[in-house]
Amino acid sequence: MSEPEAPMRYQEDGNVHLDFHGAVNTTIAFIVARYGIDALHQIFRRVGTDVYQDLRAHLLAGDSHEIARHWQHFFVREGADFDIAVTDEEIVLTVRRCTAWHHVNKIHGAVSAQFCDQTVVVNSAMAEGTPFSIETSITGPGACRQVIRRRA
Amino acid sequence: MIPSDHFTRFYNEVFKFLEAQGEADLDGYFLEISKNQEKHILELIRESGFAGMYKYWSVIRDEENCELDLGYDDDKFELRMHLCPSLTKAKDNDAKTWGRYCDHCAGWIGPIMDKTGYHLVYDVIDRDKPQCVMRIFKDGDKAREAEKDVALLMGWPGRKPT
Repeated sequence: MSEPEAPMRYQEDGNVHLDFHGAVNTTIAFIVARYGIDALHQIFRRVGTDVYQDLRAHLLAGDSHEIARHWQHFFVREGADFDIAVTDEEIVLTVRRCTAWHHVNKIHGAVSAQFCDQTVVVNSAMAEGTPFSIETSITGPGACRQVIRRRA
Repeated sequence: MIPSDHFTRFYNEVFKFLEAQGEADLDGYFLEISKNQEKHILELIRESGFAGMYKYWSVIRDEENCELDLGYDDDKFELRMHLCPSLTKAKDNDAKTWGRYCDHCAGWIGPIMDKTGYHLVYDVIDRDKPQCVMRIFKDGDKAREAEKDVALLMGWPGRKPT
């Protein structure tokens, strides 16, 4: 019998408030307009290194599966259309319909050009200096592919 | 995607960045968030007054998993927060919590009340505890009277507590 998994560092339950994604979009537009894209990326980098310290610690310890657990938990909570494929070489998250992107598009009528930078930069910051890379490709409006691989 | 569950921890990082730029930068951001929130609450207040506020904060209570009481009478609307999930998450955080995290609530709500002709009295009580009391009055004099009884009165852009 396998041991039950320890809870993740952040593992919210209860209801979700999707309008927060609208506030993220507003924040992105505000920061870019006033301080530039580098400042926005500085904030996202902090999220990757400081807020997600625990996910980063797993990567540093050679464990890439904690991020897959994180993806599974939160993409289900958000009601996204996605799947996660795990092989010996890589973990691939394919997002066919990102709830965040589509919710913002619905309530604001447009999505900031830098909206998906939150994913690209947070992923990159979490993986920096670890044995893994996380590459994010935007494959369409509200769609992306995120791949965790051990660095060569 | 930063999950909506983790928005408050992202928000916390934004506040720290803006505080380093200056107080006017924080005020500018609160006003921008306030403008964003108008989409969700302005029409409700203009059309239904306190009943509209009740409707808006009932949704917030449910979707954000807040422990709070809501009520209103002829004079005032009152929200009594017993356990704020926003501050709770900002504190349950591997990143350092911004010491004035609670300031954002009055920061966006105050300008909307100014715009709609209501008078906000926001008592955060203690910035380190996830509890607060928000009262919104029709009458400015009653609001000023109520300000005398608060533990920690919050201001907002255009109206700083004296």
